[in-house]
Amino acid sequence: MNQPDELILEMQQGSEKAFAQLYEMYSRAIYSVIHVILRDNDLTEEVLQDVFIKVWKNANSYSIEKGRFYTWLLNIARNTAIDKTRSKSFKNANKNLSTDNFVYVIGGHNDLNQKTDAIGIQKFVDKLKPLCIKLLDLLYFKGYTQSETAEELETPLGTIKTRARNCIKDLRKLTLQEV
Amino acid sequence: MKKIEEIIESGTLELYVTGALSQREAMEVEDILEEYPDVKKEVEKIEATLMNLSYDKSFTIPDSVWEGVLNSIKGVRKLNVPKKTTKLPMMTGWAAAIVFLLGIFWMLKENNTLENQVQVTSTQNAILKGKVTTTEEALASSQELLDIIRSKDYREVNLPGNVAVSPESYAKVYYNDDEKIAYIDARGLPTPPSGKVYQVWSLIMDPLTPRSVGLLDNYESTDNKVFKLENIPDPEAFGITLEPEGGSESPTLTQLYTLGMVSP
Repeated sequence: MNQPDELILEMQQGSEKAFAQLYEMYSRAIYSVIHVILRDNDLTEEVLQDVFIKVWKNANSYSIEKGRFYTWLLNIARNTAIDKTRSKSFKNANKNLSTDNFVYVIGGHNDLNQKTDAIGIQKFVDKLKPLCIKLLDLLYFKGYTQSETAEELETPLGTIKTRARNCIKDLRKLTLQEV
Repeated sequence: MKKIEEIIESGTLELYVTGALSQREAMEVEDILEEYPDVKKEVEKIEATLMNLSYDKSFTIPDSVWEGVLNSIKGVRKLNVPKKTTKLPMMTGWAAAIVFLLGIFWMLKENNTLENQVQVTSTQNAILKGKVTTTEEALASSQELLDIIRSKDYREVNLPGNVAVSPESYAKVYYNDDEKIAYIDARGLPTPPSGKVYQVWSLIMDPLTPRSVGLLDNYESTDNKVFKLENIPDPEAFGITLEPEGGSESPTLTQLYTLGMVSP
């Protein structure tokens, strides 16, 4: 999407109004990323709140010249959510949980996910190739680097980019139809 | 243009958006984005696709999340506004600098004014001190006069006005026999016309022998109109006449203003 640079600058200068608009634009996507990691609505809301508090406090560590705002948000969200998985409250809530990727969660293979389809991922999942699902899980939801992804998938480093390209291309077709 | 297509098709942009590129590679992408708007558009599309993955009109995040954010950011943020991304802080800085300079100039000017005022004030002070001194001196001399008048060594001689010449006039003489000093209080005399001066005479009545004892010089400029005269010969009476400037050998009796007998 078109990055709202003006709003970001205003937020960096302390505008709560601009910050509220940015929250409107990005919170849902960030919510879904957190939810895929934590698989719990309450915890996700808690972490989402933490993420946006961090965004406000560290707003000036983001620079428009140094990357996408959304990518910056993603990093904060994934790190905060992963930190949460190490917490006691998460471990207690997910004692029997063992999942490999977001499809597993969304696919209804555990008891906690009755509301997960609400975040809207499921409707695309069935139509994506398994490798694509795996790629999205690692790259997008888990924040793996290129080489980490290659290692995880036991594929040559050079093929990751091409596969990511094709995967997101497919996804794009699906989401454009939907939206 | 081939380069652009190559980049778009390579999959680098997808990894760029998910944050999977190394820092070096990401920076390379940044450079390309700045140069080629088409590549930037592609990045925006990829980003939108990923964000749409969670798109669902029916799903809303509870308001309590945003409320929680708002509550905890109130007054928390310290504003470290980045240098590159905005010109406002720089302008504010310059504005502050200008205001500061203007302030300094204003203070210098104010300082100057104050220094001038100090000078004026100290001049006024000096003048006032002078006045005080003068007043103190006047007071001292008044005190001295008062002491003399009250002293038992001085006799008071009243010199009533000569009815024929100036009935309103009067004078007083305070006379010390031993020291032959007389103080003439001439306040009751009219200011002498220019070119004229009062002359004080000591008189012996039989035979009538007038002897000059002095002139009341600078009558107008002497504030208290008290004049000290010395070497007074033994007088039986004092008279004051109006004489031409410089005084006369013998009194002009037609201009005798006051005359008074010394009581024995």
